[in-house]
Amino acid sequence: MDELLGEPWALSPSVALRPEPFGALAYHFGNRKLTFLKRPELVAVVRGLGAAPDVRTALETAGVPASQHAAYARALRGLAATDMIRPRAVEAAEEVG
Amino acid sequence: MNPETDSQTDSQIEQQELLAEDLIEEVSIDGMCGVY
Repeated sequence: MDELLGEPWALSPSVALRPEPFGALAYHFGNRKLTFLKRPELVAVVRGLGAAPDVRTALETAGVPASQHAAYARALRGLAATDMIRPRAVEAAEEVG
Repeated sequence: MNPETDSQTDSQIEQQELLAEDLIEEVSIDGMCGVY
């Protein structure tokens, strides 16, 4: 299972989410990347990351079944690759310094 | 080794991959600035 599931992550502060019928549009003001979040559950996960102790809890809170956690983890890795989401350790480091 | 089990596992893996790709889609907006 992906290690990311046990880690604390958050939405990047440079990202705006715009609700859409299919889910949401995520736009990163820093790198100008645009990503479709194509499931409302994924939007709920991304929005809930910052308040959850880890990714797995955010998935459970959003109602994502355990059988789909691996797939969601892969999708979240994809979002992380363009800095849409980031580990909370990075966020804390930027706030300090 | 059970072929049916292997087949089921492959199918599950395929389902997972499809699901992950179905969750997000990156869109390039480079070059669009001239449109507006």
